[in-house]
Amino acid sequence: MPTAQELIANLERLGHEFVAVIQPLADEQGIRAAQAGFLGKKGKLSEVMKELGRLPAVDRPAVGAAANAVKQRIEEQVAARLGELADAVGKLDLARTVDVTLPARPAGGGHLHILTQVRLEAVQIFAELGFVVADGPQIETDWHTFEALAIPKDHPARDMQDTFYVSDEIVLRTHTSPVQVRTMLTQAPPIRIVAPGHVYRRDDDPTHSPMFTQLEGLAVDEGLSFADLKGVLLHFVKRFFARDLAIRLRPSYFPFVEPGAEVDMQCSFCMGSGCRVCKGTGWVEIGGSGMVDPEVFAHVKIDAEKYTGFAFGMGLERMAMLRHGVNDIKYYYEGDLRFLEQF
Amino acid sequence: MKVLWSWLLELCDLDKQPSPDEGARALTRGGLEIEGMTDLGAGFTGVVVVEVVAKAPHPQSDKLTLVDVITERGGAATRVVCGASNVPAPGRKVLWAQVGATLPVAGGGTITLGAKPVKGIVSPGMLCAEDELGLGDAHDGIIVLDQEDRTALGAPAQRALGIDDWMLEINAPANRGDVLGHLGVARELVAVLGGKLVLPNLELGELMAPGEPPALRVAIADAAGCPRYTARVIDGLRIGPSPRRIAQRLRSVGVRPISNLVDATNYVMFELGQPLHAFDAATLTTGTIGVSYAGDGEQLTTLDGTARTLIPGDLVIRDGSRGVALAGVMGGLDTEITARTTRVLLESASFLPVAVRRTARRLGLHSEASHRYERGVDPELAGMASARAARLLCIVGGGKVVGGLFDAYPGKRVPAAIPVRLARVQMVSGMALDPATCRDALTRLGFGVTETAGGGGPGFDVVPPSARVDVSREIDVIEEILRLVGYEQVMPSLPALRKAPGVRPADRGDLARAALEAAGASEAITYAFQSVARCLALGVAGSDRRAQPIALRNPMSADQAVMRTQLLPNLLAAVTRNQSYGRPDISLFEVGSVFLRRGEGMSERPMHELADEPLWAAGVLAGRRPNQIGPGTPWDAFDAKALALVAIRAIVGDRPVLTRPTSAIPYLHPGVAGELVLGREVVGWFGEVHPEVRKRLGVDGAAFAFELELDKLPLAPPAQMQPIPRFPGSTRDVSLLLAAELPAARVAEVIEQVAEPLVHRVRLLEDYRDAKLGDGRKSMLWSIEYRSPDRTLTDAEVDKAHEVIVGRLVDNLPAQRR
Repeated sequence: MPTAQELIANLERLGHEFVAVIQPLADEQGIRAAQAGFLGKKGKLSEVMKELGRLPAVDRPAVGAAANAVKQRIEEQVAARLGELADAVGKLDLARTVDVTLPARPAGGGHLHILTQVRLEAVQIFAELGFVVADGPQIETDWHTFEALAIPKDHPARDMQDTFYVSDEIVLRTHTSPVQVRTMLTQAPPIRIVAPGHVYRRDDDPTHSPMFTQLEGLAVDEGLSFADLKGVLLHFVKRFFARDLAIRLRPSYFPFVEPGAEVDMQCSFCMGSGCRVCKGTGWVEIGGSGMVDPEVFAHVKIDAEKYTGFAFGMGLERMAMLRHGVNDIKYYYEGDLRFLEQF
Repeated sequence: MKVLWSWLLELCDLDKQPSPDEGARALTRGGLEIEGMTDLGAGFTGVVVVEVVAKAPHPQSDKLTLVDVITERGGAATRVVCGASNVPAPGRKVLWAQVGATLPVAGGGTITLGAKPVKGIVSPGMLCAEDELGLGDAHDGIIVLDQEDRTALGAPAQRALGIDDWMLEINAPANRGDVLGHLGVARELVAVLGGKLVLPNLELGELMAPGEPPALRVAIADAAGCPRYTARVIDGLRIGPSPRRIAQRLRSVGVRPISNLVDATNYVMFELGQPLHAFDAATLTTGTIGVSYAGDGEQLTTLDGTARTLIPGDLVIRDGSRGVALAGVMGGLDTEITARTTRVLLESASFLPVAVRRTARRLGLHSEASHRYERGVDPELAGMASARAARLLCIVGGGKVVGGLFDAYPGKRVPAAIPVRLARVQMVSGMALDPATCRDALTRLGFGVTETAGGGGPGFDVVPPSARVDVSREIDVIEEILRLVGYEQVMPSLPALRKAPGVRPADRGDLARAALEAAGASEAITYAFQSVARCLALGVAGSDRRAQPIALRNPMSADQAVMRTQLLPNLLAAVTRNQSYGRPDISLFEVGSVFLRRGEGMSERPMHELADEPLWAAGVLAGRRPNQIGPGTPWDAFDAKALALVAIRAIVGDRPVLTRPTSAIPYLHPGVAGELVLGREVVGWFGEVHPEVRKRLGVDGAAFAFELELDKLPLAPPAQMQPIPRFPGSTRDVSLLLAAELPAARVAEVIEQVAEPLVHRVRLLEDYRDAKLGDGRKSMLWSIEYRSPDRTLTDAEVDKAHEVIVGRLVDNLPAQRR
């Protein structure tokens, strides 16, 4: 029959033996198995402790305490060893290197057309001022395109816009202004709309394309003035170019507005000091504008005494040219990825 | 219109003398945009006025002359060798290009003169002919200044030639016929800069011939068509070239000098804006000048030698009943000025703008005269212009005026006062303009202004000058006030929003664009027109509206003959273009309107109504997918399907979209094409572009495409949150052996048809084809996830649900379980 001293000695020996057992082990599974071999229900410690019942009761607490101590030591050694292993794995993981200068995996890669981007942005800026998008057909009646806008047949102003005809009465709209007419025929003032869209003129050179994009604006209300027109255009130019650019309205003639004005803005390339883009003048033309002519109001049955209005139109190709330096209008329509992917 | 700075200055007396540049800026500010300025004398330098003091034959050549010239009175003479035959006698002035002078070279560029020997005698420079100075094509001798020329010796030749001047190109507004002459532009200059107009010399007193005035009658049939017609006779004229100054001015404004008589009428047209016509009076035999509309089919040969067939809208000038000119457009051949002309009947008239415009357009006869008449010529101008032209004719042609002005003026207007309210001026302008400012602006423009104080508050009665036919309404006057005050004086303001802006549904096109961009495609915008061949290249049946494009009556080229009926042709052409640029990997889309005739089978019918303009989206893929390293794998039809689906989902949300195989789309491969069905409606299709279509449009290699009718896609209501699953799901797989042609969509349909509430998700894990499976067979591995929102499912429940589904698959497809 073993004595308490012998049992304690056995336990201590197992403690030392465990150290030797796990020292060479390098994986968690092996360590756990070794741990179970010592501390499990059928483990070596349990074997020793089976003898405990045969000891006098007075000796048992001492052996129990020794067993607990050894058990605790083993558990600590397991934890330490596992910790070491985890550290080693972590270190090994951190030793990994990847050539991060390799190309990125392609993601997205699509592009909105620059004219779409410019349109969305312009519409957004005008939306902040309460203008809502309106639209109308591109194949239009002569009446909506010209007559209702105070451009009767045989008026020299028709020379200003060489028109594509489908038939005597049907044309490709030469400007987005027929949307004004359609809007005023169906909505009562106050009105604030912007109408972006394609328009068509018989013109083809580096600065003109037979199809191009206009953005039309119209406001009709009581008490609108030329000063309001100027304020809206100035705000737009500043917001769109995100610079404190000046604008200049110059008297001009468009049959459907009076007073009519050509809109120039301070050249965004040279800030007005004169360059190739502004031909040295410091100003670039961006569109036409003016107060809605009473004759137009008469065509759409709006009381020109009670209401006034202003309208403006600008070419989005030109806005894109001025902001992004597109130097030939033909690039917009060729579907050339070398162009499209730049924006 | 081209105007000369010196000519403008002759017609006004300005408070302060501006430079040409300042003048141009002032005109632009006032509304006459100066589109360009040219220094007329910039073509050469170093050429001066000299006097010939002696001339002697060249010892080596009888074609050459040695000419001694001086640049100042009493100065030393220089000997120049000259090859011209018209070297004048001593005392006359010629133009000497000195050593170091730069002269223009035909075809561009300049040369700098040096001293060079001519047949053994060194000539320091040369005496100049017109063509050597770039002024004209005359090389029949050197320029010899007129006897009366008073240009100082040694002065730049530009001064003697009348080209020390600037030409200003004015973009005249279409409603401002009054600025199509120097006088009208001078009126603007005076208004903007301050000063007064100076009318040209109209005095005929000493130019009147004694004796009987001719018997002449002017008969106007329609006062609206011809409000005023004046005629005057000048006799004793001798035809010849114009004085250098008149010829040079005409050249500078873009008119070729013809003869002294014709040039005089053109000169006055450019000076005053009144077109004039000179008939050879000897060819007018009846003593009655008539103005009336043409008879249908009436013939008239215009002075360009073309026989014109007229219609009743054409206004004709007649000698008795014989047509002798197309009013305001062009004179007749048999009454034109010729070398034998000595007696002229001078017409100065005004005609109905619309009549002149219609005739000019119909006959394609656009002239300086018709351009002015179309824009409105002030009838009041006719008398003044007649006097001015008569005076010039007499001076340049050595004639005398016979009798007075025959003046038929049935359309005389009494100038009506336009009432203008000060409050309205202030409201429209947004400026607190006072009456004095308004009055000043209008007075500077030559308007008559009377202040009024009626019931409507203070205002003015305004009478515009007769030349301003464009001003008739209050708003016209307001514009005049505002432009004279200066648009730059208006302080910008922002209008208050009195009503909330309207609400507009999301734009389907923009939703699709954003989704396609995010999916990696790039947006193209192509022309809305195309050639007939390209439009029909997709092979759509002739009965289809898409094969009946809307044709333009006046396209710019055959490439732009018809409106597009589909987006794909131009997109496929863009693929070809990119391939030719060495960009073979392509993922392009376009969103835009196509144009379809209303009603079918009507391609031959002229269009009298609007078109249908549905919004479509289309995309094309060619080449390879993007890849991290090295070339990617080739695109296939499923990439086109993916793009179509992201565009659809961006609009309709998560509504189910079914795919049906189709072989009925002529431009898609019959075995690689699918229709996309939403609800019961086909909303688009995708697939491989038909090899024949590819070939027709020059696309290299396989291409894949989709088309969507965006208008057919209902906008999704806001997405509603579904509960997040709280209980775990359980997955069962089933492997099936099926007929190879059985579509995957059919399997999914059967699984989902079971309406088993426990089915949460169905996924295809494998689509496997191999000869080992047997002819025409394929194997598919499907995975079905089962889940309940309110409990964890037991294995038994899941197994039972799964067996039901597998049973259906086996029975209905049919399929074999593997």
